[in-house]
Amino acid sequence: MSYLRLRRLWKPSPLKRRYEVVIIGGGIHGLATAYYLARHHGIRDVAVLESQYIGFGGSGRNTAIVRANQRTVENVRLYEEGLKLWRVLTDELDYNLMFFNCGVLGLGHSEASVSAFRMLCNTHNFLGVKSELLDPQQCAEMIPGLDISDRLAFPVQAGLYHPPGGVVRHDAVVWGLAKGASAHGVHIHQGCEVQGIDTEGGRVTGVRTTLGPIGCKRLGIMAGGYGGAVAAMLGMELPIHPLTIQAMVTHPLKPFLHHVFSSGAYHVYANQTLKGEIATGAHMDPQVNYTNDATAYYLKHQAEALTELIPALRGVRFMRIWAGLADMTPDMAPIMEGNLGYDGLFLDAGWGYFGFKSGPVAGKYMAEYMATDERPAMLRAFQLKRFLENRYSGETAAAMKYGHWD
Amino acid sequence: MTFRLTCPVCGKRDVYEFTFGGQERGPRPGQEGLSAEDHFRWTQYRLIPYAPGEEWWYHAQGCGLWFKTTRDPATNREVEE
Repeated sequence: MSYLRLRRLWKPSPLKRRYEVVIIGGGIHGLATAYYLARHHGIRDVAVLESQYIGFGGSGRNTAIVRANQRTVENVRLYEEGLKLWRVLTDELDYNLMFFNCGVLGLGHSEASVSAFRMLCNTHNFLGVKSELLDPQQCAEMIPGLDISDRLAFPVQAGLYHPPGGVVRHDAVVWGLAKGASAHGVHIHQGCEVQGIDTEGGRVTGVRTTLGPIGCKRLGIMAGGYGGAVAAMLGMELPIHPLTIQAMVTHPLKPFLHHVFSSGAYHVYANQTLKGEIATGAHMDPQVNYTNDATAYYLKHQAEALTELIPALRGVRFMRIWAGLADMTPDMAPIMEGNLGYDGLFLDAGWGYFGFKSGPVAGKYMAEYMATDERPAMLRAFQLKRFLENRYSGETAAAMKYGHWD
Repeated sequence: MTFRLTCPVCGKRDVYEFTFGGQERGPRPGQEGLSAEDHFRWTQYRLIPYAPGEEWWYHAQGCGLWFKTTRDPATNREVEE
């Protein structure tokens, strides 16, 4: 009966007053960075500080969709490597991340989106990432019940199917990475809120927390949607707007939806979880805030959009609704920086609603950056200064229009 | 939970009647000699701490007034004066 014995995945560790590396944020990005610092670079004197519990923020509030069908070369390459890491990590961590490689289907409802799909498809294929254009009939064959008639205000005109995508169990990723990091000697401190950052002579020297001051040589701000608020402790302005994004699940249904599908025009993405619930979301509140407020307004909106596309879902009930933060940048691409303003200060932020799918790969490269002080080639495109030099990433060309920030 | 904002004309109304106009950040810098960098800083760079700040809101589904109010991003609620 040993399988019934409860075993801790990660050890509680004593809080030291000094670490070589302190990472703010116990989410996927922070834990992955700590894991790779210890595993690939031999830096084990690492603390991950989490103000609530690990996975409290975006890591546990996303809709678990992973894909690599971005618009620009730099982003496709990054996310493609990220996709490949799920299988590697499942093995490395000896923990089932439940990667379900079901493929992702995007629906286009206008001439503009069809030509955008064509461009995306060519970009992906050029880079060796699988994507194919589908006609409405093929879309309906993939998504049973999808209404492809001209009853819709914006009928389905094409689909972009991306077979390498899918869903990953997001809690498992958090727990697996915590397990792996802890096994390599990383200290994980939950309930430890950072209240200030100390610097001296242009260097980061430590943080002030609710559990007292903690010194460090290198500090990583990897707090997801809260990154802007942490940077604000240093008076650092960033082109980041934290917005809540809402998601919800219906009651469980028999399996019928075997792919993730999304529609930019109808502000819907949906997939059926292994439990049978339809997990769906996409709506963002436009005002900057750090809360997890979910609203009846979007519950209604989501129900309307979802049942417009799949009329058979009328009468199905939503069971839970929740919200997480998306830290939006003007060009929909992240900011990964080292020695930013202060020696030893590293920033991994601005992931918008792509923070989950990028977690492990961002952690891998941030760890390399923090260990070597040299910017990995993969991160060259994600420097903060690109904004001030008027060199935006072209990622917005792929994005659906969600609001005023894009 | 949704919340209400105080329109100077219509009083407390549901937030979804309003359009968010961003943080108050002073007057637009003059066009004369304005560098791309300074323009970007003014339009995009923000300091968004856990503290109340002044914001612009537009009563789109109401009287059509642009007005300023104070809201706290940490609580997502209007701060009563």
